[in-house]
Amino acid sequence: MKALVLDGSREGDALTAVAVLGMTSALAGRVDVVELVKPRELAIAPCAGCFGCWTRTPGECVIKDDARDVVGSYVGSDLVVYVTPVTFGGYSSELKKLLDRIILSVLDPRFTVVGGEVHHRLRYRRFPKTVGFGTLPSPDPEAERLFAGLVARNGINAHQRFDVEILAGVTDPVSARRSAERLLDRAGVSA
Amino acid sequence: MNALLLVGSPKGRKSASCLLGSILAEGMRKHGAMVSEEFVHEGLRSEDGIARLLDSVDAADLVIFAFPLYIDSLPAPLTRLLERIAERRARIAPAGSPRLAVVVQCGFPEAHQCGTAVGICRLFADRTGMRWAGALAMGMGGSVGGDLKKLPGGGKNILEAIGMASESLANGGAIPEAATAMFAKPLMPRWMYTLIGNFGWRMQLRKNKARRPLTYRPHSQG
Repeated sequence: MKALVLDGSREGDALTAVAVLGMTSALAGRVDVVELVKPRELAIAPCAGCFGCWTRTPGECVIKDDARDVVGSYVGSDLVVYVTPVTFGGYSSELKKLLDRIILSVLDPRFTVVGGEVHHRLRYRRFPKTVGFGTLPSPDPEAERLFAGLVARNGINAHQRFDVEILAGVTDPVSARRSAERLLDRAGVSA
Repeated sequence: MNALLLVGSPKGRKSASCLLGSILAEGMRKHGAMVSEEFVHEGLRSEDGIARLLDSVDAADLVIFAFPLYIDSLPAPLTRLLERIAERRARIAPAGSPRLAVVVQCGFPEAHQCGTAVGICRLFADRTGMRWAGALAMGMGGSVGGDLKKLPGGGKNILEAIGMASESLANGGAIPEAATAMFAKPLMPRWMYTLIGNFGWRMQLRKNKARRPLTYRPHSQG
């Protein structure tokens, strides 16, 4: 079993670094391979909104940069973990720039109905199980509610349930690992 | 009243977001507002461009984000701009508290799918000392082309909603709830939109002379 951890931290973000540490140590006993990707260290152009990954080179972005390599890892993983500072209830720009480039290429543009709403079909037979692991400097109910809602909506786009956990003010790796274990238990990721 | 329209679509001037935002800006000008336009993707390409965007936000009485929904939230560059604005406003006590309004459209038929993105913008306004001035959110954004009058019904609901919003914003108010509700009305039945959309993807594929089928899987693991 392979897990892909997307570290959406920005430079100097100690809280998210602790969350990544907690998550990778929790995963070590549950999966065979953990791949860690840090978007901020990659050359990734923003999505051009051209739909080329649907109507020019289906399944592949037309921009040739580091994001294209991550798509293969994404599709080949059993579990994907979004670790990110909760940014006004959303993802960090670092994580988002990567997701903007990945997600369309793993979807099939044709429409279908999921949970009563229109969404896109899935390009691959299997979409990796996905969880969101957000960090905040202190509890923030409004940001937490929005973040949980965003992760859940991303799950609907992937025709499955995405679980979520938020670390508020957690600075020690032991507590971060405990939260990560709780999230993985909830998502059914067992050894 | 000095307003700033920030277009958050990577397609810039050719985008549906720019079209909708520009109609709003034009409506506000007719009601006496000064409205300037900036393109987020262009601005973020250089430090000078970022400084210009941040200075423009500081100088505005009203900021309007016009953007497409990207994976249930804002496109990454617009998120980056939010981070930069927040950093500046935390570092330098802002002289004023501009209002923030949003125009967002998504390619799904249901306008409510834009709800999380609107929530993010609203929270951003709250946490950076800006005042929330409401949102116009619509589905079926894939139908919005160069001429709204070619839409079913002549785009009447969109134009009326923007008309109400522009008058209120130009006069210092927020987007009226009636405008938000009217803007969110579907342009056509859901079945028709998805039928046209599914046909459209295939036509685009053919037009682009793509050598792979729509369903191609370049990564065989899946």
